[in-house]
Amino acid sequence: MTQLTTQSAVRAPARPASVANRRTRQRQDHPSWFLFPALIVLLVFFFLPTLYNFFYAFTNWSSFHSSISFVGLSNFKALVHDGSLLKDLRITLIYAVLVAIFQNLFGLVLALVLERDTAINRFARVAFFVPVVMSALAVGYIFQALLKPQGGLNHLLSFVSGHDVHVAWLGNTTWTILVVAIIHAWKWMGLSMLIYLAGLKTISEDVLEAARIDGAGWWTTFREIRFPLLAPAITFNVATALLGSMNGFDIVQATTAGGPGGTTELLNIFIFRTFGQGLFAQATTMSLALFAMVAVLAFPVIGILRRREAVLS
Amino acid sequence: MSSAASTFASAPHVRRRRSAVRFVQPAVALGLVALVLGVPFWLVVVTAGKTQAEAFNPNLSLPSHWQLWQNISTVFHQGRMTVAFFGSLFIMVPAVAGVLIIGAMASWVLARRTSRTMALVYALAISGLVLPPAVVTIVLLLRQLGLAGTGVGMVGVYMGMYMSTVIFFVTGFVRTIPVELEEAARMDGAGPARVFFRVILPLLGPTLATATILICLYIWNDVFYALFVIGGRIDTLPLNLYQVASAGLYLNNWHLIFTYIILMSLPLLITFAVLQRRIISGITSGAVK
Amino acid sequence: MKVARSKFAAIAAAGVMALVGSVLTGCSDPGSGSANTGSDSKPAAWPAQDTKLDGVKLTIWAAQNSNKTPASVISGFEKLTGATVNVVTIPDPYEQGVQTKVATGDKPDLAFWQPTASELTALNAKNNLISLDGAPWVANYTGKLADMTGSLDGTRYAALVTTPAVIGVYYNKEVFQKNGITSTPKNWSDFLTLAQQLKAKGVDPFYEMGADKWATQWWVQAQLADDAKNGLWDRVNTNKEKFTDPTIQGAINTYKKLIDQGLFNSDIKTANFADQGEALLSGKTAMVMQVNSFFNELQASASTAELNKKIGFFPISPSGNVGTYIPDQSNALVAFNTGDSKREAAARQFLSYWLGDGYQDFVNAQSTVSLLKGVQTPSSVPQALQDVAASLDTSVGSMQALAVANPDLYLNLADMIQGTKTPQQVAQATQNQFAQLAQAQGASGF
Repeated sequence: MTQLTTQSAVRAPARPASVANRRTRQRQDHPSWFLFPALIVLLVFFFLPTLYNFFYAFTNWSSFHSSISFVGLSNFKALVHDGSLLKDLRITLIYAVLVAIFQNLFGLVLALVLERDTAINRFARVAFFVPVVMSALAVGYIFQALLKPQGGLNHLLSFVSGHDVHVAWLGNTTWTILVVAIIHAWKWMGLSMLIYLAGLKTISEDVLEAARIDGAGWWTTFREIRFPLLAPAITFNVATALLGSMNGFDIVQATTAGGPGGTTELLNIFIFRTFGQGLFAQATTMSLALFAMVAVLAFPVIGILRRREAVLS
Repeated sequence: MSSAASTFASAPHVRRRRSAVRFVQPAVALGLVALVLGVPFWLVVVTAGKTQAEAFNPNLSLPSHWQLWQNISTVFHQGRMTVAFFGSLFIMVPAVAGVLIIGAMASWVLARRTSRTMALVYALAISGLVLPPAVVTIVLLLRQLGLAGTGVGMVGVYMGMYMSTVIFFVTGFVRTIPVELEEAARMDGAGPARVFFRVILPLLGPTLATATILICLYIWNDVFYALFVIGGRIDTLPLNLYQVASAGLYLNNWHLIFTYIILMSLPLLITFAVLQRRIISGITSGAVK
Repeated sequence: MKVARSKFAAIAAAGVMALVGSVLTGCSDPGSGSANTGSDSKPAAWPAQDTKLDGVKLTIWAAQNSNKTPASVISGFEKLTGATVNVVTIPDPYEQGVQTKVATGDKPDLAFWQPTASELTALNAKNNLISLDGAPWVANYTGKLADMTGSLDGTRYAALVTTPAVIGVYYNKEVFQKNGITSTPKNWSDFLTLAQQLKAKGVDPFYEMGADKWATQWWVQAQLADDAKNGLWDRVNTNKEKFTDPTIQGAINTYKKLIDQGLFNSDIKTANFADQGEALLSGKTAMVMQVNSFFNELQASASTAELNKKIGFFPISPSGNVGTYIPDQSNALVAFNTGDSKREAAARQFLSYWLGDGYQDFVNAQSTVSLLKGVQTPSSVPQALQDVAASLDTSVGSMQALAVANPDLYLNLADMIQGTKTPQQVAQATQNQFAQLAQAQGASGF
């Protein structure tokens, strides 16, 4: 790097700012080798294994025999034929959308309620962060116990309403997916809340003063000024909620394991089960399908939100 | 402006509204905590204090006599929690530190250089956000490198998994740091490494705070990847839960399981409670820019 | 720097080409280390039980419900030989975790594993396990146990340590007495008549745990007992008969019919394993079609004396009292070929000890039925479990034991109970899955 320092010393006198010179300067000031450690780590510990994994989708890799040979597209054809893939993709999508909605709603409400830095609010914020810190497995166990037909929630509801409540919260083939999405949102809403709190703090006080002077009420201020200016926070939260729920499955696995009747079977649960039966190649074919869905659906949404950010700020 | 505002603010009807809100808001806050969090946490704490028979079907009733301390000591021994705690720590800290520094270095270059190649490299670098890590092939690769079952291998895997997250956060943030600061340092004869570590890295505090929290959360609680990379060889807190959680046909010692869960969550929770204000102000300039 | 950039690109390109190249050369299973030698062709060496093994470390993989099982054997063995034995718990779902770990090249010395042919195939026994042929303890098995299970294509891979589970009916004796029933049914039609009688008297004849799912398949399997004896699964294994053909489809339809007739508990959709146990013990229901682990659950909340008084067992099949055996993961262990001959020999020695000098202590500690000649079953074992063990000699194999692959029949049946699949769809889905697994194994006819 001594070469660079002597070059910069030589560079001291002013030069005409042509593009070529700017590029050279960029390359000298921000050298490529700074990228190498990160790219090496990514290549070795992430890309290579992932690509390798996707290659296996074109083979007959399984636990039953040691040899592996190419089978071309037959895994994909078989997958398209089987109706389970589409059904699980649909369920995964519904789940992701529900989680994105609930997590953001809850997080925003909490951030608005706990906005001020009072002692009680600070305590409440820590309290709401506890579920975020707990492992997903733990959350699954807790709600499994609470939502049983004779579990804590029904107990409480019976007590409050006076007559026997015996709802099978995790046993309904239509609505359990909603329940599980709410549980997922419950675990992560503390993080959304944190991001929204930070977002609310970035809104300049002057703008809010001006609104107050103009006589704007709380709701008007929120709708016209604060909500639009929260766009970056919304983008971040929706993005992480979508990506997190499409790729994760611990909570659903721990509460319903895909039941009842397969109505909460996220694609990842199906993949895990297929892998567990020894059909490794078929499982990787399915993860390719999931990746395709995530790419096709999540990126446009994030793109739209990013553009909205630029417009609104 | 401010005097006008304060006159306005002290007008009677506003004052009344302000004090009403001042009363209602904390009540609402506490009410939410009690309802939304209180019930599940109550279940955890109450079950953690019971005997095995009583905890068999976890419910909201109080234990007939509290044996929380006994359960804690049982769990500490059975789950080898001290060893596991240090196992988790010695894997999480290097992984987080490593991925933050290396990721920030790469983000700096990606943010400042605007050529097409760099744009492509950036897209590749953040593709890890969308791609799920493939556990079997990762372990196979580690085996070929001789790192399977080692702490180094595990650190490498976590770094690979979360590198995209760091690059995603930091690149956007670096763009908000004025180039003039770098120029000034360069005028004084600093090379790129000096510029990065002395000028840029300190200013990245806020965004690194956001990334740190997220990654720490994921790594501290990770069971899945740890099981296949180091399971059976190195103890971590989430893995050792299975030493404690035994089953007849189903998990049947909920009192120990919930005790373990409480203990396992404490370190991160305490950290958060203590650093809360810093973290929030950190995130303020972090993710939302 | 143009030079640096192109150098970087060159490295990247080389990396990708190396990757593609290695995959295209059709390399064998990446999980297996050096070239496969498979199991030895010569009979394995079986060391004496008390050979000194100082400094040898053995690892046993166990599920969450079997990790305490070897405790007494381990302490005895460690004291006798000086070896160290470590039990590692693989979280549930156990089989999936083990298969995935083995796919990554990770192998223990011993592991609990379902000894059926289909599950041994799923673990690629020929390549991953060492053969247990020539073991000194095989001759000591009681009854027909030696030939019943644990082998694949003529080679023994699994060592049975506890009596295999049997599908049969557990009934509440007091409910029977109260309703004037003096003898247990002798065949399926008697069984159903009995159920109708009980229903008329206001008792739930049967109890199913629709929410926990896995027991739903017993109802179908028990009905197939006669056909299983007549080679049903051989035909299914070669694609000459399908799940959708009348035999198996009929059994599924009958199960649905019984549920629709109201012979089961009204909360069948949400009932779980604990509910089922409680229902039988309390007399809310008269009969439960289940396997041994159900009785183990009862043992957790009632004493042997109480169980002997209240709970009885009889196997049932279309034409008689024939049980269907279904060995499960906690019944047997397999030994892996780790390539370390010292540890492999030690693993064999451990099994010899378990099924040798250590067996009496084992059955006493576990309170389980002995399956070796000359070792007494402790008196603390309830009568029902002893009846279960006694029914083994006349029992027939279940789907798990006789079919080449193990589809998720129980999951599809559970969907049927929840109302998201018809009986025809259950059979079709199961057949599709079975065909997929059989084809992946290279079974002929698929």
